[in-house]
Amino acid sequence: MQTKKTIGMLLAVLTLCGCGSAVTRVSIPVKVQSEIDIGRYSNFAVLPFVAEKQTERNEKLPEEIGAEIAATLRRGLARQKHFEVVGTQETARLLTGETVGEDWLSDTAHLSQLGEYFEVKGIIIGSFRFYSDSRPRRYYGERYSVQRQRYVMDYQDYMQKTYLLSLRVMIIDVETEQVIWDETYRRSTAEAHTIGSFIFSQAGPQSNTIRELGKRAVSEFTRQISPHYEREDRYLVN
Amino acid sequence: MLKYNPLAFIAILVCFMLSGCAVFQDTSQTEAYNRFAIRAAQAQLWNEAIFRWKQVIDVDPDDSKAHNNLGVAYEAVGNIDEAIAAYQRAAELEPDNKYYRLNYRRCRIHLRRSGLDDEDASQLEEELPPVEQ
Repeated sequence: MQTKKTIGMLLAVLTLCGCGSAVTRVSIPVKVQSEIDIGRYSNFAVLPFVAEKQTERNEKLPEEIGAEIAATLRRGLARQKHFEVVGTQETARLLTGETVGEDWLSDTAHLSQLGEYFEVKGIIIGSFRFYSDSRPRRYYGERYSVQRQRYVMDYQDYMQKTYLLSLRVMIIDVETEQVIWDETYRRSTAEAHTIGSFIFSQAGPQSNTIRELGKRAVSEFTRQISPHYEREDRYLVN
Repeated sequence: MLKYNPLAFIAILVCFMLSGCAVFQDTSQTEAYNRFAIRAAQAQLWNEAIFRWKQVIDVDPDDSKAHNNLGVAYEAVGNIDEAIAAYQRAAELEPDNKYYRLNYRRCRIHLRRSGLDDEDASQLEEELPPVEQ
């Protein structure tokens, strides 16, 4: 009797299972439009990025870093078919005798004049701040104790050094002198140090780290202003 | 007087199952096409998947699954108008299916973000009740 009941229940469950429909999740490419009017802003001049006024936390950096970030951005934009960018050498030639300073960021009239000089629709300018933050950390793990004949809890102290880059990017409309884009991109990376390597890292060059963080920040900006594809999930019903 | 007989209960269940099998016999071809199309879609062969789902719709124009899946395929290849039409048809045929509504909603949200959708956002919200994800 019990067996029959079980069989009956099983059949009922199987029947009900047949009533449901399985779903398959697939990811499809969806086109994401540019966040700016690419019909209007099709050509740009990218000016060297400015190091923000140093605070006590700021790292000392080589002077050409701002120009390198701008060059990375130019390369990224030039790869997009929708944009034309004034080349690095051309920009340097046209800017001869002028030093891009922090005061330029708010002087849209001057930037607009420069834009006319460059014969572009938009001027890209920005500033950056790079600093590091070091904190002692403790890593917990296990080690085998010969005396106790078992694994015991152990820890190791180290210094975690976090590098942070804050990159502000602005686009100025040359015709209207309006700021049409003003966003800050923050990127960070961390490394673990012993006391010895930490001292060396304080004295060592930071330029590679800022270049890498700059590339990441710039690529995010380029992605936002260029039409691109992203993947989204949809459901197929079996 | 009627008494509960487990054997009779099982017999009724088997009858239900067999009747289900009979229906399955009729739709086995469309089911096979659907399964094949889903495998094609998983392999990103969207044109093949579209072809199969169109065949399913030719056989059974009221197959809501095929309309929904066709909508996904159209969206994947960038035919947004046709995707919207297919999603709408699927939702008409089976208004309570949350996956159809979810696909339709996401497609419309994507359209709105792209600035291609003229319809008012509030209208879409009224059109579709909230979906549990």
